[in-house]
Amino acid sequence: MTLRRTFRALAAFGSLAFITLLPAGSPDFKWPKPEWVPVPVVPEDNPITDAKVQLGRYLFYDQRLSRDGSMSCATCHQQARGFTDGQPVHAGVDGSLGIRNAMALTNVGFLSSFTWANPKVTTLEKQVMIPLFSDHPLEMGMQGREKQLIEELGRDDSYRQMFTEAFPTQKGEISLDTIAKAIACFERTLLSFNSPYDRFLRGDKDALSASARRGGSLFFGERLECYHCHGGLNFTDNNIQQGQAFPEYGFHNTGLYNEDGNGAYKKWDHGLRDVTDRADDEGRFRTPTLRNVALSAPYMHDGSIATLEDVVRKHYALMGRAGSTPDGPSPLRDQYVIGFNLADSEVEDVVAFLNSLTDEDFIRNPSFSDPRTKKSK
Amino acid sequence: MKARFIVSGVVFAVVPCVAQPPVQKVRIVFNAQVAGRPFACGATYDNVGSSHAQVTPLDLRFFVSHTELLTPDGAAVALSLDQDGIWQYRNLALLDFEDGTASCLNGNAGINNQILGTVPAGRYTGLRFQLGVPFELDHIPAATAPSPLNTTAMFWSWQDGFKFLRVEVATVASSHHANGFPLHVGSTGCAVLGFGDAPAEECAHPNRATVYFRIFDVDHDTVVFDLARLLAGVDLESPSPVHSPGCMSFSGAAACVAPMRALGLPFDGAPATEQSVFTRGARH
Repeated sequence: MTLRRTFRALAAFGSLAFITLLPAGSPDFKWPKPEWVPVPVVPEDNPITDAKVQLGRYLFYDQRLSRDGSMSCATCHQQARGFTDGQPVHAGVDGSLGIRNAMALTNVGFLSSFTWANPKVTTLEKQVMIPLFSDHPLEMGMQGREKQLIEELGRDDSYRQMFTEAFPTQKGEISLDTIAKAIACFERTLLSFNSPYDRFLRGDKDALSASARRGGSLFFGERLECYHCHGGLNFTDNNIQQGQAFPEYGFHNTGLYNEDGNGAYKKWDHGLRDVTDRADDEGRFRTPTLRNVALSAPYMHDGSIATLEDVVRKHYALMGRAGSTPDGPSPLRDQYVIGFNLADSEVEDVVAFLNSLTDEDFIRNPSFSDPRTKKSK
Repeated sequence: MKARFIVSGVVFAVVPCVAQPPVQKVRIVFNAQVAGRPFACGATYDNVGSSHAQVTPLDLRFFVSHTELLTPDGAAVALSLDQDGIWQYRNLALLDFEDGTASCLNGNAGINNQILGTVPAGRYTGLRFQLGVPFELDHIPAATAPSPLNTTAMFWSWQDGFKFLRVEVATVASSHHANGFPLHVGSTGCAVLGFGDAPAEECAHPNRATVYFRIFDVDHDTVVFDLARLLAGVDLESPSPVHSPGCMSFSGAAACVAPMRALGLPFDGAPATEQSVFTRGARH
């Protein structure tokens, strides 16, 4: 074990040495994370500061960011649910349903691209604009209303003060640019690294039950193949962190649908194909993190599976859910979606492992909550 | 052992307190092919494997370590790798031929076809290296490892180590099996005390292949990796009915027999032999 510690120390030293070679960006910011966790990458034009994070937190919870004052970012991204909303899909301000499940914001600062399937959206600053201004589906409905939004925020003394503190070189300018930058900074602080699984890996051998440990072996094993996509720091193959040379991407078809025998997904959502226009990208979606996954039901890009147990039993075990339909398993499914037989007790073990990724500190952390619900600062 | 780290723009060099003999720079160029044709994401290649499959590459990356140049009398001299913070760390280098485009969408943008380093000045006429990650680096926590070991695509969690070689190809789709043949080579049979522990000693099957060229001129030759040579003898379209896709270095996996032999690795009772995947080629 001492040998292992030595290697860990060496590895840590290596990453530290490399980190300092990168543009410092935010030299004074103290990331709310344990020492062992790598540092997220921050866009050069938006160094993270406490003032921006605080402003972003107010904006994140502000319903003035929607057309009729009914929705904020937090409407679909609720802290108690790991910043998801518990619904398959959420209705926009006009009541029309969206087509995709609200994604968790756990550790989003480590993602290489955002939304369920769009490799072109590579920063949170860009992503913020989608729920604010998208038409199809309509979410917060602010298209054409940016002037009103900026004026309304500008009439608020506390916002004027916060924008001035957060963006001194822009003289406190309130603009879509500064709004997006502040929200992105807040979201980058949504760090979750204190689940029982994390504590187990850091030496607390009692943090995981025997069942969760067995489930972990299944999860990381070659019978289920889960970890091929749900691997690494955040249980996803989409990752960028300081010290990593290139952002990595992973978009996969899990065989959820096979509408025509040739692997077609529902005609209103082709996944990555809708962005790239490549037939091979039919039904491919970005691998979501599994941190806090027990809180983010229902599952899949369209929220069409209610429980983790069913994700294992009625989807992946069957070579994708389409495997149980007359058209059979999708020919477009990822090569690791091979199906498996699990005893009931093994399904329980896998679910126990997934439950061990829930970080209670994260969902209770007062610095992530609505700042207006408490009078105190 | 000479290690250099650049911290905040200041260079700290740990050097022996004796006069340094002159060194020469070395650049070893690798070249990836499929039956002699250049490897390219999005390209299709006919006639690969025992079923003469048509394949499209999805990924091709591998780790090389312990690179040595050989003198005319056969002495091995270790190449000291440039510590670039990207592709090379200690005596390990990642070779990467996928560029994240077309069929290699799930890769990343960077490519690397060379190893850069120095050796004491001299005359060298041969080359030897290992395909693999040295044991002492193979089981470090991957997510916080230095580059290139923090490349998630090379994580191999089921053995708490790294894939030494990651080759993935897509074949003609069939609903009876998943669409492609992944080949992952790494150490197997790694004894761990419990879930989450790293192995304390070398794995039962280290699976590090040695590549040796008695004659190799680093200034004019290239190391050619041929995917078709690696996959010769594998039925890519009807993989054996084990519970994992392709070949994951499992003992007993029929789909692994031919590629392991091509890499010269002992497998399931077959002895180690000379590898046939890498050949010496001319630099263009």
